[in-house]
Amino acid sequence: MISEYAFLATGAGLVGLALLRLATSADLLMRVLGLNVLAVGIAMLLLVSGMGASGTDAVPQAFVLTGIVVLVGVTAVLLALAERIAEDRDE
Amino acid sequence: MTAFVEALGLAMMLAGTAFLVVAAIGVWRLPDLLSRLHVLTKADTAGVALIAIGAAIHVQDVAATLSLALCTLLVAVSGATTGHLIARDQFNPSVADAEEGA
Amino acid sequence: MLPVFDVVLAAAILVSAALALWVRDRIAAVSGFLVTGLLVSLSWLRLGAPDVALAEAAIGAGLTGALLLRSAHRIPCAPSKALPPSLWCAAGALAIAISGAIVWTVTSFGAAPVYPSLVADNLPESGAQNPVTAVLLNFRAWDTLLEIAVLFVALTVVIMVAPARPRTAPLGPLVQPFARVLLPLTVLIGGHLLWQGGHAPGGAFQAGAVLAGGAIALGLSGVIGSKLTRQNGLALLAIAGLAIFALAALAAEVLTGALLGYPAGEAKTWIIAIESALTLSIAATLFLLFFGPAERH
Repeated sequence: MISEYAFLATGAGLVGLALLRLATSADLLMRVLGLNVLAVGIAMLLLVSGMGASGTDAVPQAFVLTGIVVLVGVTAVLLALAERIAEDRDE
Repeated sequence: MTAFVEALGLAMMLAGTAFLVVAAIGVWRLPDLLSRLHVLTKADTAGVALIAIGAAIHVQDVAATLSLALCTLLVAVSGATTGHLIARDQFNPSVADAEEGA
Repeated sequence: MLPVFDVVLAAAILVSAALALWVRDRIAAVSGFLVTGLLVSLSWLRLGAPDVALAEAAIGAGLTGALLLRSAHRIPCAPSKALPPSLWCAAGALAIAISGAIVWTVTSFGAAPVYPSLVADNLPESGAQNPVTAVLLNFRAWDTLLEIAVLFVALTVVIMVAPARPRTAPLGPLVQPFARVLLPLTVLIGGHLLWQGGHAPGGAFQAGAVLAGGAIALGLSGVIGSKLTRQNGLALLAIAGLAIFALAALAAEVLTGALLGYPAGEAKTWIIAIESALTLSIAATLFLLFFGPAERH
């Protein structure tokens, strides 16, 4: 029970920290990093809410797995775009 | 007998944890990169190896022991290599700085 | 004992995330993110989700960390203008309000879960004993097909944007022995995770991520020649996963009349075939996402 609340608070805390950072930063790399932290927090919330007496629900687990893989694709695209933006500013 | 074996495993794990704690304190307190690397690579490898041995004694299962041995091997190999690479970069900064300047 | 461990772990996750988000040095920020990812995957083990923990350690912490590290020096720091305190307070209040609302929603949510019994009832027919693999490749295989499509789109965008390739340099005498140990172990662990996915934590995504991680390490050390990374074969391999998955979906449609409804009794063969193709394709895609497609013209 205590563990469940601890991890619930962690998930919500990660979401809050990431949102605060996203709102107050203009740095592209830190924004991508903040997005990743946000996604981890949301995944944590999904997993906590999937906890039950007979083990963790497999469906939210599959959602989170899908989310992790999609996120790495999104991160790669955002970083590639940010690098190009930086290059174009230099020129 | 079993109590003795269990105590042995526990002692191994405690020793491993102690190694890791010392490494953490070392990284925190030591002044420069090389001495930090020195404490990190050695204590890290030893700590993980000791914990793996302790865990293997506890589970007494061939498959799990093999996985633990694999973990230890990977930590040892990658720890040594990355330590070497970081130290190397300290002395002849090549790629990273060239890229930074570019 | 364990609740104490969980509380300490939860606090450590929050502290390392805060460090990662607010530390000034970029390498330190990415390192903080890596530590957060590993601690989070440890916490997901405690939440009873080892499959997801493996994926988070390999993809969320490992590969994303590598990507961020690659870009850390290429993206210039934004000029840090000090925000007016009123904006800071507003952002902080909003973040706290959202976090609070989340906690309140989750704790006050009382409906009985629907999925666990559905999954458990249909598990014997799914062709996999690991419920997560069953959901990913049988019950909700649609989602996974579209996920692979998303990876493919991401790869396409990266190829079009074409970021500069990471430069490799000779890394000294330790790299050869390192590669000699790492390469076979990567293949071994990848294959093991793939096969294990049927009945225990593991599967195509974790296996593909491990293969990609090994390949990226070898690519950076120059052991895998830059020739290989420049060939189009790798891009073809990356596309093959989506193609084979889509073909399997259509073939199942012809055979059984349902998209991705595997013929009864043969689900295991289908899942293993699709997962093997996906593993190689995911590994190739992740590798290309890191290295970029080819030299820019």
